[in-house]
Amino acid sequence: MTDSDPVDLLLQTARDEAGPEEFRVTGVMMQYYVVCKRELWFHSRHVEIDRGNAAVVRGTHVDETAYADKRKHVSIDGTIAIDVLDDGRVMEVKPSSSLVEPAKLQLLYYLWYLKHVVGVEKSGVLAHPTERKREGVELGEEESEQVEDAIRGVYNVVTSDSPPPATEKPVCESCAYHDFCWSC
Amino acid sequence: MDRNYHVFSDGRLERHNDTVRLVTLDDEKKFLPIEKAEAVYLHGQIDYNTRLVSFLNKHGVALHIFGWNDYYAGSVMPKRGQTSGTTLVEQVRAYDDLEHRVDLARKFVAGSIHNMRTNVSYYNTRGHDFESVLTTLEETRDRLEETTDVAETMGVEATARRAYYSTFDDILPTGFVFDGRRYNPPDNETNSLISFGNSLVYANIISAIRATALDPAVSYLHEPGERRYSLALDIADLFKPLLADRVIFRLLNRNQLTTDDFETDLNSCLLNERGRETFSKEFEESLEETVEHPQLNRKVSYQYLLRLEAYKLKKHLLTGEEYVPFKRWW
Ligand code: SF4
Repeated sequence: MTDSDPVDLLLQTARDEAGPEEFRVTGVMMQYYVVCKRELWFHSRHVEIDRGNAAVVRGTHVDETAYADKRKHVSIDGTIAIDVLDDGRVMEVKPSSSLVEPAKLQLLYYLWYLKHVVGVEKSGVLAHPTERKREGVELGEEESEQVEDAIRGVYNVVTSDSPPPATEKPVCESCAYHDFCWSC
Repeated sequence: MDRNYHVFSDGRLERHNDTVRLVTLDDEKKFLPIEKAEAVYLHGQIDYNTRLVSFLNKHGVALHIFGWNDYYAGSVMPKRGQTSGTTLVEQVRAYDDLEHRVDLARKFVAGSIHNMRTNVSYYNTRGHDFESVLTTLEETRDRLEETTDVAETMGVEATARRAYYSTFDDILPTGFVFDGRRYNPPDNETNSLISFGNSLVYANIISAIRATALDPAVSYLHEPGERRYSLALDIADLFKPLLADRVIFRLLNRNQLTTDDFETDLNSCLLNERGRETFSKEFEESLEETVEHPQLNRKVSYQYLLRLEAYKLKKHLLTGEEYVPFKRWW
């Protein structure tokens, strides 16, 4: 635990200036933060289980083939992996309608990271392949604050000794930890 | 859920191209569908080599070997795909903390007593009078709360189990005496069946534990090292009444097993090949029975209950959330 702001800690870590405590947040962690904080905790502790019935792996890049010709993958610090379109915008694919919020926060986080760590300001685009729709996403004042709050939130979850209790929600059905959470 | 395959004949088990085949002594060949297997149980005299072992390893299939005497001889376990240092550390931490260890030991015993009681009350309402045994089981349950060390907890477990076993002579048909638990080797038919049934429960739990990253050697009620997989002993106690004992009652009361299915000599009595086959078949059917799980909201097999038990324990150790032992709820 540290007294300093997790946001500063994250930036120091990214710039290799952190002390003994490092703090990294990946895009997937941002998604878990929105979807289920308990899942985020399990993920951060590398809790792995073989799920008896076919595991449904939730992922960011469900639709790898869509738009494949127009983007390139760029990985930064091994922490974030972004897709850049020809026009320079950062794209995130929203795999399903229930995952629009997590995909959006992840995209905003990428834009925030590019701005504060790499020093480039970019625009984003959230693609909805099933609806053949694209939505422009910009990192404004309000969005920056949202990202920074989420970073602090992630920090609180991953540094706590126990996970938040399980709460039943629709995503539980397809969660890899389903039987682990609900075996009781 | 993946299946178990039992091999009763003598012969050779070998890798043949991308399959496993059994070649019996009279040169009969049989293929085992290894992709769908959880484990292979060897009951006969079987030769196998390292090629077979690495092949099973690659497919994540365990080999459980059943010898003579007390039946279970050992396992060849596949390498785990995943290991978890954190889980092992938490397991050991709980073991080292006396209060935590006793608490877990007590929970295993509380669950066992509950499940023994379920069997006894079933027969109590079907023409037997087991009121005094039910009382003893309730008393042991109460005494359990006051135990402060593992030996004491074990003692309560032993008292409860003795009372429970005392009902067997009544439940079983005439011709099958029991007269107390003896093993290594078992001295009569009933003891032989209990040994065999318990060994099957034990081996299935070893497989269930493997699916989590729990280390099977770190246990709480039983002393680590008592057996190679002592954690499986802790969990097995919870499931013996449901999985082993019900199969015994059923097979004997329906005359599906008779004294002809045993080989008896001076000081031991063991199931013969046909007896083991009958028992294993009934046991596997019982593993496939299902029950509606109140929290998972779906039907799960008895075999999957073993897996869930391992999940529950692991969850408790990693998160600090309470471990509630398996207590038959139906
Ligand atoms: S099962 Fe539900 S509560 Fe548990 S980790 Fe998954 S989403 Fe979260």
